[in-house]
Amino acid sequence: MLKYILKKILMMIPMLLLISMIVYFGLQLTGIDPINFMVSPEMLSANAGNVDALRESLGLNDPLIVQYFRWLTNCLKGDLGYSFSGSSISSIIAVRLPYTFELAAWSLLLSAVIGIGIGIISAIRQNGIVDYVGRVLAVLGQAVPQFLVGIILIQIFSIKMGIFPSANRVSPGAVNPVTDAFMHLFLPVLTLTIGMVAVLMRYARNTMLDVLNSDYIKTARSKGIPEWKVYLKHGFRNAMKPVLVILVFRIPMLVGGSVVIESVFSYPGIGLTMTNAITSGDYPVVLVTTLIIAAAMLICSFMVDVLNALLDPRVRLGE
Amino acid sequence: MSENKTMNMDEQKKKASSSLLKKNIRKFVNNKLAVIGLVVVVVMTIVCIGGAIAGVDYNTPVLTSMKKPPSSQYWFGSDTIGRDLFARVLFGGCYSILIGVFCAVMSSVIGAALGAVSGYFGGKVDMVLIRISEIFQAFPQLVLVMMIVAIVNKRGLGNLLFIFVITGWMTTFRMVRNEFMSLKNETYVKVCEAFGMGKSRIMFNQILPNVMSPIIVSTTTNVAFFILQEAALSFIGLGVADSTPTWGNILNAAKSLSVVTNQWWIWVFPGLAITLFVLAINFLGDGLRDVLDAKQQ
Repeated sequence: MLKYILKKILMMIPMLLLISMIVYFGLQLTGIDPINFMVSPEMLSANAGNVDALRESLGLNDPLIVQYFRWLTNCLKGDLGYSFSGSSISSIIAVRLPYTFELAAWSLLLSAVIGIGIGIISAIRQNGIVDYVGRVLAVLGQAVPQFLVGIILIQIFSIKMGIFPSANRVSPGAVNPVTDAFMHLFLPVLTLTIGMVAVLMRYARNTMLDVLNSDYIKTARSKGIPEWKVYLKHGFRNAMKPVLVILVFRIPMLVGGSVVIESVFSYPGIGLTMTNAITSGDYPVVLVTTLIIAAAMLICSFMVDVLNALLDPRVRLGE
Repeated sequence: MSENKTMNMDEQKKKASSSLLKKNIRKFVNNKLAVIGLVVVVVMTIVCIGGAIAGVDYNTPVLTSMKKPPSSQYWFGSDTIGRDLFARVLFGGCYSILIGVFCAVMSSVIGAALGAVSGYFGGKVDMVLIRISEIFQAFPQLVLVMMIVAIVNKRGLGNLLFIFVITGWMTTFRMVRNEFMSLKNETYVKVCEAFGMGKSRIMFNQILPNVMSPIIVSTTTNVAFFILQEAALSFIGLGVADSTPTWGNILNAAKSLSVVTNQWWIWVFPGLAITLFVLAINFLGDGLRDVLDAKQQ
């Protein structure tokens, strides 16, 4: 098992390098000249000689491959460089990455609890009220665009009822940081959760139904084990394996979704940073944010692999 | 005598296939949601294309009638610069549906072709193709699209179609590859190989028809996926250029809080259009899956 995990980790390194190269060289194709961001146009035409010296001192005249490796070594040392607006990317990331992490983690946790919960109840009480409502919600949750859900929630909870703020992560002058965080996180987390729950619920319901129809459940029942124990100990545990895999598998969707949702709620996370950087052509920031998201994805798919291997010995033995 | 016999066999084959088709159609018709889905998809498509052909005016701002609520003149109201929203939703529908269908079909074609090659040949070819698909999968599609928009630095319909297709083939690829992996060891494939049939003919004429059902189902549901994806991208302002209306692009106006608060019709109607269409496509896809998926029968 350890060997399998090590092998998977070692395989992530060349993947990350390759992705960083693709993004780095890809962004060079935009033809955006960093000098234009640093020096005003009047200075540019007046001091052509100085600009050349600046270019030389920044290393912009070096071959691309040299620039790439210089950037890479700096990154590995923890220096992510500077955005075109002059702020240190490391400090931007240090503030904003935890915000996105908060958003994603809460959504994942909530959607897991709600999705699996409703899924299992609707499997046990098939065609009951929970099952019916759950199925309608699942169908709707997959059809309504996530950002529209966000807009509707803003309309209801922020504008009409005025309970939750419609934007940002921290209120100026907030007294209690915990309640403040709750107020700001509630709507975006709810929006992301609704999208995730739809899929999870359907999946958990079907898996649980499969399990409940299997022979060993009948055996357990015929042995006279109490019904709740049959569901929890025999059914739930076996139904959870594939559901867990799906849950981890859904994280990329969550990340993609959070990029859009951060934009809806002007939530200052990595996604919004990236969207703004793309619109303003700030490619050092685009580069770093893209890489962070790609790395997160790789880690997730690594987790899926490990989870699969833990649950199913054939996977690791087959390698 | 022998000619007679083959004719009989041909007829029998025809009869068998037509009865399977009949059985499938009956099964599909019995699934009410799927039929409703099909009807909604067809009707919405025809209405949108009909509106486009009739040449409704979607692009001329009438400054005297900005932000008008729905009325007999403007069925869906007018937008922030006085364009007829009904016409925009019709035109937007044409573009959104075009994006969904084109990208779903093209990415399925690419995914199926690569998956066939990867699964049938296996070995090094398989390994390289799997690695490539993993690199593409390492990015959430939306982020990849955003990155490419940043690189190309231009927003246009063509770019979007291209990006969606090259980022959307991986799921079909995996599915087709796995099917091919198991099907290539079947006896009928061995027989074809023994007869010296060409590899591409075995792959595409003999094995591929057996994988068609899941491909058709996933292509259908992908139409919905791409429409939603385009809407999300246009909403955050990185999709199609503003001059081209799509359902997502019209919704872009709802980024402003004052529109959300005061002009509900600007976001409700295009939002409803997307939701209805995607809902219908999902019902249709589920219905097709019930009919075509042999494992469920």
